[in-house]
Amino acid sequence: MAAPSLVLLIDRSLFARKVKEPRPLEQREPGWKLFGKVPLREASVKDPRKIQKEYETRSGRPGNLASPKQSVRKNLDFEPLSTTALILEDRPANLPAKPAEEAQKHRQQYEEMVAQAKKREMKEAQKRRKQLEDRCRLEESIGNAALTWNQEILPNWETMCTSRRVRELWWQGVPPSVRGRVWSLAIGNDLNITHELYSICLARAREKWKAMPASGSDTDGEDAGLSVADKEASLELIKLDISRTFPSLCIFQKGGPYHDMLHSILGAYTCYRPDVGYVQGMSFIAAVFILNLDTADAFMAFTNLLNKPCQMAFFRVDHSLMLTYFAAFEVFFEENLPKLFAHFKSNNLSPDIYLIDWIFTLYSKSLPLDLACRVWDVFCRDGDEFLFRTALGILKLYEDILTQMDFIHNAQFLTKLPEDISGDALFAAIATVQMHSKNKKWAQVLQTLQKEERGSPVLKH
Amino acid sequence: MAKQYDVLFRLLLLGDSGVGKTCLLCRFTDNEFHSSHISTIGVDFKMKTLEIDGIKVRIQIWDTAGQERYQTITKQYYRRAQGIFLVYDITSERSFQHIMKWASDVDEYAPDKVQKILIGNKSDEEQKRQVPKMHGDKLAKTYGMDFFETSACTNYNIKESFTRLTELVLQANRKELDGLRVSIDEDLGIANLEEEEDQCDSAANAQKACWC
Repeated sequence: MAAPSLVLLIDRSLFARKVKEPRPLEQREPGWKLFGKVPLREASVKDPRKIQKEYETRSGRPGNLASPKQSVRKNLDFEPLSTTALILEDRPANLPAKPAEEAQKHRQQYEEMVAQAKKREMKEAQKRRKQLEDRCRLEESIGNAALTWNQEILPNWETMCTSRRVRELWWQGVPPSVRGRVWSLAIGNDLNITHELYSICLARAREKWKAMPASGSDTDGEDAGLSVADKEASLELIKLDISRTFPSLCIFQKGGPYHDMLHSILGAYTCYRPDVGYVQGMSFIAAVFILNLDTADAFMAFTNLLNKPCQMAFFRVDHSLMLTYFAAFEVFFEENLPKLFAHFKSNNLSPDIYLIDWIFTLYSKSLPLDLACRVWDVFCRDGDEFLFRTALGILKLYEDILTQMDFIHNAQFLTKLPEDISGDALFAAIATVQMHSKNKKWAQVLQTLQKEERGSPVLKH
Repeated sequence: MAKQYDVLFRLLLLGDSGVGKTCLLCRFTDNEFHSSHISTIGVDFKMKTLEIDGIKVRIQIWDTAGQERYQTITKQYYRRAQGIFLVYDITSERSFQHIMKWASDVDEYAPDKVQKILIGNKSDEEQKRQVPKMHGDKLAKTYGMDFFETSACTNYNIKESFTRLTELVLQANRKELDGLRVSIDEDLGIANLEEEEDQCDSAANAQKACWC
């Protein structure tokens, strides 16, 4: 049996090249633990030579029984599964021995089982090796990209940001190390937010928190369209929502490292834009910025992003304008995925059911965070059009499944997307989505619909 | 193809943010409880099939975002519901007072036949209680609703309240159901009617993308 040692060689050379990627120890544990235990326990009952022989057959090379732990640990390039750790035993001495024929049959069955298990393990090992290689390649390309962004693109932002090469690089995902800066630059600062302004807003928010009664519900008094009670509720809601923002990350919850930052940004925003206030969904957006930028810069990006027309329409819950966005989305939905579009229509599955969550949180709640950041990358490049294009990409990626399910299953699926969604597959799907309808671009379709909407007040409620 | 259920109903969870709507639902459908939950944005969905009086009832439960601002959006879902849970938090007087607003919205936007029950959640947090049970009882009586105090945390009255609302919805739709009992062997049930009705709805909606 030469194959395992060959595998071993390849594996070793891989490790030599990439020392940064050791396999986690606990993954290896069960392997040698099993082997370490079994021979020791059996030694008293069983002929040691026999065990060694079996062990050799298994590992494909003469084993050293004196230190099975060590040798297995060193030489195994894969963890043995429970089946390969199986050891053939004779009947205990107090029972009559098996007939020779039966013993032979059992031995043969045993060998077949081991051979099959080994085959499976080889496949697994191959798969793991491929994953490792892919990962190395990915890390290398991220490293290279970070260099390019840092040294070439960011210093010459104004001239380069629209170039074809940068746009292509951008599509592949901005390296995490420069992500915050790229987002900030792309979003811009039309509102002229400064660090001082942030401090002022934050100070005002702190005063309000102090003045806020523990509980109360006086509803009189109108200020900028919001009642006092609503404002209070809004401040209380921020507190509540912070602990419900990416709870699985355990960093925004009370006592977590980013809790105060998130609280500050959201509080400062309600003072900066009391007419908008806090709206659920904002905490997710602020949280993603916090993960990529310093607090004041995160606030700057956050306020400027929320000031974009699409975000304003949604966070102010301008219902008729939201419907216009949905209608525009449906134009491209029908164009790109007519079959699925018809299926959704016949199931009464309207886009608001899934789009609201996606747009309000900019996918940060529904997609894995790293993939959501990739969507944000291109959203910063292409604007709101890309949010709807991403939605169509998701629908396209899962079209086959979605066309076979009824309303409730689709609604459940879309409001809780599979966790193992592949970024490359999604972006490949998004790339095939056409954002032209009868020679009209997204913005033009939206504009036309907006004009129609204004022209027919009957539709308003 | 045999139907997995005889009848389909949509139930809606309404109430202020943080009263525990999602937790109630997770406890009911998955028997899970997480103290730190992710906020609901827009609407989330779950479903479960119950058997009541020998009838397999599939309930779709729409779990809505509680913030007042979102009501503009969620109101449009009221008309699709046959049953509604009005949920408050016994440790929050404000969430209890808001029930009146939620109830009046339901009267305005939900179908006349809609069934409602009142839920006072977090009954395990007795030491933080702000709303006496009596007040819940009284309010429920005024509205002619059933009332349950529940705890998603300790799994108290969860199944009972979901089953009760489902029964009420069943009763309210008895006419169609009597038809169902006769035709149950012929594989022609209200579920089919229900879906046809849905399709009519969507055909009507198709003319203009407006779902309210």
